[in-house]
Amino acid sequence: MKRPCTGRWLVPALLSSLFALGPIDSALAAANPPKVALVMKSLANEFFLTMENGAKAYQQQHSGEFELVANGIKNETDTAAQIAIVEQMIASHVDALVIAPADSKALVPVIKKAADAGIKVVNIDNRLDPAVLDSKQLQVPFVGPDNQAGAFKVGEYLGQQLNAGDAVGIIEGVPTTTNAQQRTTGFRQAMDAAKMTIVSVQSGNWEMAPAQQVAAAMLSEYPDIKALLAGNDNMALGAVSAVRAAGKAGQVKVVGYDNIQAIAPMLKDGRVLATAEQYADRQAVYGIEAALKLVKGQDTGAQSGVIVTPVDLVTGKP
Amino acid sequence: MKTTTAGQAPAPARHRASLAVLGTYLGLAAALLILIVLFSCLSSHFWSYSTFSTIANQIPDLMVLAVGMTFVLIIGGIDLSVGSVLALAASALSVAILSWGWGPLPAGLLGLACAALAGTVTGSITVAWRIPSFIVSLGVLEMARGAAYQLTGSRTAYIGDAYAWLADPLLWGISPAFLIALAVTVLAQLVLTRSVFGRQLIGIGTNEEAVRLAGIDPRPSKVLVFTVMGLLAGVAALFQLSRLEAADPNAGAGLELQVIAAVVIGGTSLMGGRGSVVSTFFGVLIISVLAAGLAQVGANEPTKRIITGAVIVIAVVLDTYRTRRARGRG
Repeated sequence: MKRPCTGRWLVPALLSSLFALGPIDSALAAANPPKVALVMKSLANEFFLTMENGAKAYQQQHSGEFELVANGIKNETDTAAQIAIVEQMIASHVDALVIAPADSKALVPVIKKAADAGIKVVNIDNRLDPAVLDSKQLQVPFVGPDNQAGAFKVGEYLGQQLNAGDAVGIIEGVPTTTNAQQRTTGFRQAMDAAKMTIVSVQSGNWEMAPAQQVAAAMLSEYPDIKALLAGNDNMALGAVSAVRAAGKAGQVKVVGYDNIQAIAPMLKDGRVLATAEQYADRQAVYGIEAALKLVKGQDTGAQSGVIVTPVDLVTGKP
Repeated sequence: MKTTTAGQAPAPARHRASLAVLGTYLGLAAALLILIVLFSCLSSHFWSYSTFSTIANQIPDLMVLAVGMTFVLIIGGIDLSVGSVLALAASALSVAILSWGWGPLPAGLLGLACAALAGTVTGSITVAWRIPSFIVSLGVLEMARGAAYQLTGSRTAYIGDAYAWLADPLLWGISPAFLIALAVTVLAQLVLTRSVFGRQLIGIGTNEEAVRLAGIDPRPSKVLVFTVMGLLAGVAALFQLSRLEAADPNAGAGLELQVIAAVVIGGTSLMGGRGSVVSTFFGVLIISVLAAGLAQVGANEPTKRIITGAVIVIAVVLDTYRTRRARGRG
């Protein structure tokens, strides 16, 4: 502790040197606040923007404790761009990396590189494939909501409003993402439990216009569809539009996921029955907290590599 | 090359040219018919009036974009920014309505103006510095998308049904948007084949130097084509908004490729100098029927992409044969 410290740093620095046994790392960390890189998916998506803003607000409240470098890619499927960003973060010697991977498998090699460079990695939002992680002997804690359980809650609520045997369609996100797969699984389980018939599962690629097209095709092909389950709210907006265009307003129920702002008026007037809130702003914060604990060598409290954040059902009825 | 400028050709050549054009239309119509028959066999409800009215009401945005792109390709250019410009127009409009309290009409005009401006920027820079429009529009693609994110704070904005009248069925399940798009298509075909301006554009695409030597300055026409392209992207934004009631700053991502595919399936040359708006319309129908049919059949995402890609390639290969034969005869 030869370097000059400001008063703010004195206490943690002294404390860490008092408790220190092999604490060169933590002493340095206390002197220079650790640099945490937050690498997001599409910052164009409201969900990730909320997440990033939550992280920034948290950083401002705890400005002495860590530095934050936030980065995102243009669109959610641009895996190559995200890998390039992680490589830059490795080159700029960050202490920790909190990442929402664009692809649950393709990002693993570069995360391995980061871990090998001594960077503490925490996985948020979209869980890295455990099998691929194992094959690289990597342990990356996942902080995030249980998408499958969240989708199940939404589906369960929908099921209560339908009659057994009713036909339903699922509009999935980008099929290669774990989030899309888990939400679809959750929807399927809920529909099976409520004895609904799933007549079609197709991808709307997380977006409004493609979802509208797919929903319109489902409604033409299966005129007796009673509900559409969309993997996110943007696609639910597209589904609502298709229902209206088919002249079936009020006859086909629509549910979504994410609880974005634009869905609020639709929840209110019943065009969307329910959605799930998974507190995007808290996720990056939980991720950063876990990353800081790892940097300090503390226990993250993860159970079998997972720290679960809450998901709540949001319905139109007050 | 005279076969393409039918208006100037001597009578027998003109006759032959119009026969060739008719052949093109018949070929495209046959391809469309094959798709429709195929999907009607594969799916239980494809062959129904509601399927076709649904498709008709989904395609106005693609239709007007493809019309604009046909003109851009005819003068030997390309505009990759259309999807982003669409999102920019929708975003500007949503901000005007939600934050500034504008009415639907002035907000709509603002959206159209933004889009036309973006097109003018692409066109002016392309012409002024003689840069390939591919590169310029790629830059504008990024700028327009960025501006759309900036304006909306990257959020999907709910606008409500202010423009829903455009999308709501008017007569026999057909929306005003489709009728407007149809009118734009017909008007554009007339401009292309019956006006001096249209012939000038074909001339520019065939041999710009010759047009210049003939004492005509091609630059204003070229800029105008990009301005119209931008404006039509704005119109497409209105059509999308009317249907979806929400402005998504991610709207139209990758749409430019769909538009170019539709135009090229219609037989418009990427090299410039040759194209038809009516053929483009067939191209749009083929792409849309394919998308709707595959969705109704319940094909999964990879299958959809493989089949759509294959159809594009096959269409262009067939077109090459047709063109060679037509040239051989002409």
